[in-house]
Amino acid sequence: MQSRFYASLLLISALILLAFVSYAGLRELNPEWKTYQKEYKRLFFNNAVTPDMKKKAAEYTVGIRQIYIKDLNRVDRCDNCHVGVENPLMAKEKVPYRQHSGTYLKDHPVTKFGCTICHLGQGNATNKKEAHAEGHDTYWDYPILPLKHIQSSCTQCHNMDFLSKHGADVIIEGEKLFNEKGCKGCHKLSGNGGVLGKALDGVGSQPIHYFPMRYVEGERTQPSWLKQHFEDPRKVVPESVMKVKLTPEEADKLTTYILSIRTYDPPKIYRRINEEPIVAKDGHALYNMYCVACHEDGKLSAFDENLKGTIPAIENPAFLMNADDRFIEMVVKEGRKGTPMTSWQLSSAGLTDEEIKKIVSYVALQRGHESSKPVSVNLKTGDKDAGKEIFNVRCALCHGEKGQGGLGLNLANQIIKKADDQYLFKTIRDGRATTPMPPFGSTGLGLTDQQIVNVISYIKAF
Amino acid sequence: MSESLKSGIEQFKDNIFGLKDSLTKSYLRAGKPTSDMSRAALMVNNFFLHIQGAKTHINTLRPAYTLGMGLIAFYLFIITCVSGALVMIFYNPSIEHAYSTVKDINYVVFAGRLMRNVHKWSGEGMIVFVLLHMARVLYTNSYKRGREFNWLIGIVLLVLTFVLNLTGYMLPWDQLSYWALVIVSNIIQSPKELTDILGLTKFVDIGGIQKEFFLAGTVPGAATLNRVYFLHIMLLPIIITTFIGVHFWRIRKDGGLTVPDNFNSSCNVDCGNLVVLPKKTGGIFTTNKTYGLMTMSKGVTPAVDRDVENTVLSWPNLAIAEAAVFVLCLAAVIVYSIFVDAPLKEAANALIPENPAKAPWYFLGLQEMVSYSAFMGSIVIPMLSVLGLALIPYLDRDQSDVGIWFSGSAGKKVAIKTLIVGSVCLIGMLAFVVNFGWFRNWWPSIAQIWIILINPANLWLLFVCAWSIWIIKSTGSTRMGAIALFTMFLVSYLILTYVGTELRGPNWEFFWSKAQWPIH
Repeated sequence: MQSRFYASLLLISALILLAFVSYAGLRELNPEWKTYQKEYKRLFFNNAVTPDMKKKAAEYTVGIRQIYIKDLNRVDRCDNCHVGVENPLMAKEKVPYRQHSGTYLKDHPVTKFGCTICHLGQGNATNKKEAHAEGHDTYWDYPILPLKHIQSSCTQCHNMDFLSKHGADVIIEGEKLFNEKGCKGCHKLSGNGGVLGKALDGVGSQPIHYFPMRYVEGERTQPSWLKQHFEDPRKVVPESVMKVKLTPEEADKLTTYILSIRTYDPPKIYRRINEEPIVAKDGHALYNMYCVACHEDGKLSAFDENLKGTIPAIENPAFLMNADDRFIEMVVKEGRKGTPMTSWQLSSAGLTDEEIKKIVSYVALQRGHESSKPVSVNLKTGDKDAGKEIFNVRCALCHGEKGQGGLGLNLANQIIKKADDQYLFKTIRDGRATTPMPPFGSTGLGLTDQQIVNVISYIKAF
Repeated sequence: MSESLKSGIEQFKDNIFGLKDSLTKSYLRAGKPTSDMSRAALMVNNFFLHIQGAKTHINTLRPAYTLGMGLIAFYLFIITCVSGALVMIFYNPSIEHAYSTVKDINYVVFAGRLMRNVHKWSGEGMIVFVLLHMARVLYTNSYKRGREFNWLIGIVLLVLTFVLNLTGYMLPWDQLSYWALVIVSNIIQSPKELTDILGLTKFVDIGGIQKEFFLAGTVPGAATLNRVYFLHIMLLPIIITTFIGVHFWRIRKDGGLTVPDNFNSSCNVDCGNLVVLPKKTGGIFTTNKTYGLMTMSKGVTPAVDRDVENTVLSWPNLAIAEAAVFVLCLAAVIVYSIFVDAPLKEAANALIPENPAKAPWYFLGLQEMVSYSAFMGSIVIPMLSVLGLALIPYLDRDQSDVGIWFSGSAGKKVAIKTLIVGSVCLIGMLAFVVNFGWFRNWWPSIAQIWIILINPANLWLLFVCAWSIWIIKSTGSTRMGAIALFTMFLVSYLILTYVGTELRGPNWEFFWSKAQWPIH
């Protein structure tokens, strides 16, 4: 009766529709997690020893489940595949059926904490690829945390004191490295630290797009970026001036620590951070925290290729002999404009006067007892033009035509203007032992005291 | 007494057994479609079918004539509405929950991912098929003889389809949504480029007002989502449904689909395969009688001077054809949706701009032109294009050769020639711009007004107009001009959209493929 063409079109289309709707329905009825739950049920039954347990295993129903934690604003569906996390009978099975390691779940019941608060990943998802969210095609900001960095999650609720007593050795050592390698010399965190690098607040929970992945080898993830950055800063960020280089083991530990610096705080009821007694750090600790990244042990003055300048040896007795505490304190407080030296006072890099005093006294420990020969000329009588001639011949090679620095230090800055004339005079006259700066005085390269005074008046006019 | 009681029970029994027949009869009024009369009545009496005639011209049923494009676009709209309602049940239009509810639709709602995919792909399919339908109408010369106004309604529907798709794109509140919102609001703001130059911005900032109206604020936020949601699920569907109704009603009033003047079923098509021919004896349609449904419709009265043979009963001929296209359409959408997931990126983050931030693909041709000049690319050229398309039936009043593909072989030649010339020239121009840049690259300090006036998009528009006019001049036919203009429109839309979608990478720089994009 009906037209043949349209009747056959209708029939064929209807068959295709039926076939694919059935296919979609079957696919929908047999999701990935169901396979795992069925296998779990089998293993559960096999491993059960007592009749009671057998009964329990037999009663296990396969079905979708989720952990909703209102206070954490999370829905975790990880247990659809990781079914056995709370079942002691599954202790020896392989992942994802295996029981959670250690006794963590006893203190952190799954119903109260869920999974992603520690492990990250996409709790909403119900398939492995998207739940673990590894790889850029899953479009999730927080891929699952590699287990070697898992301790970075502990600090959300626990303080370091607690963690050190409970075996969280990786993050403890990570923090130690963070303090001793002088990270805060360049990176601000919680209001204090230098400004050469990026601030670290919340870096552990910054989405993957914050990290330029171009030069990262292997997996392009936050942990690999951080690790490779610590091993060789300029491999990951070519323009980086970062000096520190760590061994792979150290880099892993520091990565764990850095990943723990997150913006997201769990609600108060979850946190076990008792107000940690603020232990005042001594001068040595502060030096390690803020100064060591550039000055290292302060004994050697060396030109740094990346910073494009010479880092002065601040523990050099020859320097300390001429520079008094007041001068060093002024340099620390105000920094050296035109050089990477940060101004460390409270209003910029965030150190208190007390802390700066401690650092200065620590540095001054190396000062010897002998004092330099007193200055015997009138320092007010400098002739700038005469000084210029001498400077261009004797000084410009290292310090630059305009005092901008090179092999030698940058002289064209505020601190030199403010520096005590006596200090400058002695430095030029006596030189700086163990650095390329030779003594220019009459016993050295033969400048007269008056010539030195002339040079000083020229330097001060930069 | 007992006699009547018994007969009452019996009546009741009969009524129960007779339910099937009585329901059918009450539903169909004229009974089952067993005769030509009742078949005609079925069409006329049904609310949904009566917008179509009781009889349909054979030409309308030729798949090679209509290609079913308009019908497919309409069915995609129906599928979009139904799947949209299903997705809407689970979706929450707040910036806190929008993204996570879309995730839930994907992960835990039964067949939710499929439903979302169906909604997405049928919605975007509408754009494709509305454009193809438009092409079919134009190339078969079907915008004439009373159908001029329906062409205009079609243009309105095209624009509505774009806007409906765009508003839907914003709702998941992921990175794609957010940054498309930013891009689109900037496009909306682009009259500022001109008012800045004229120094008018401080008096009346048209662009700024438009942008604020669209975003319900100055940056995308909670109020924006609310507004876009309202547009997407309520205002626009109501408007588009109304216009679809008017569009269909006018097809009927304008005399149905076009038919070539010299149509003869026996010589034009082998219709025995396509339709059921009217019975030659019996029924009301006897061989001796010409029968016309007297309507108020304008246009040529059906079959006054020709044989009735060229029309057939709509039931079942049209009905089965429409049913077949619907099922085919549904099957195609579902198959595509099973294998291709609708995109969903990271949650919206105002601090991490997507690079490149792209509008949805159907606007990337515009965005490519916006990259030359925001004002021209986003306001002037789209407006002129829509205006030009809308005016085609009024500027081409040549009433011959209606209902014939390309109006014959001359039109086909013009179309092919235009296709080749258009593609070559446009690609050539784009290659020039990609390799050598434009004024801003040559004279960095040039005044913006020069770029607004002279940029590749404007030059292209001028070329398209000049080409169409040259065709009119050289062929002496406005119809050929219409074919040339529309072919140029299609070529431009396709090529510019392809370039914007596939060949533009970070900072809108040129790349042969996405694999070459620098890794961030």
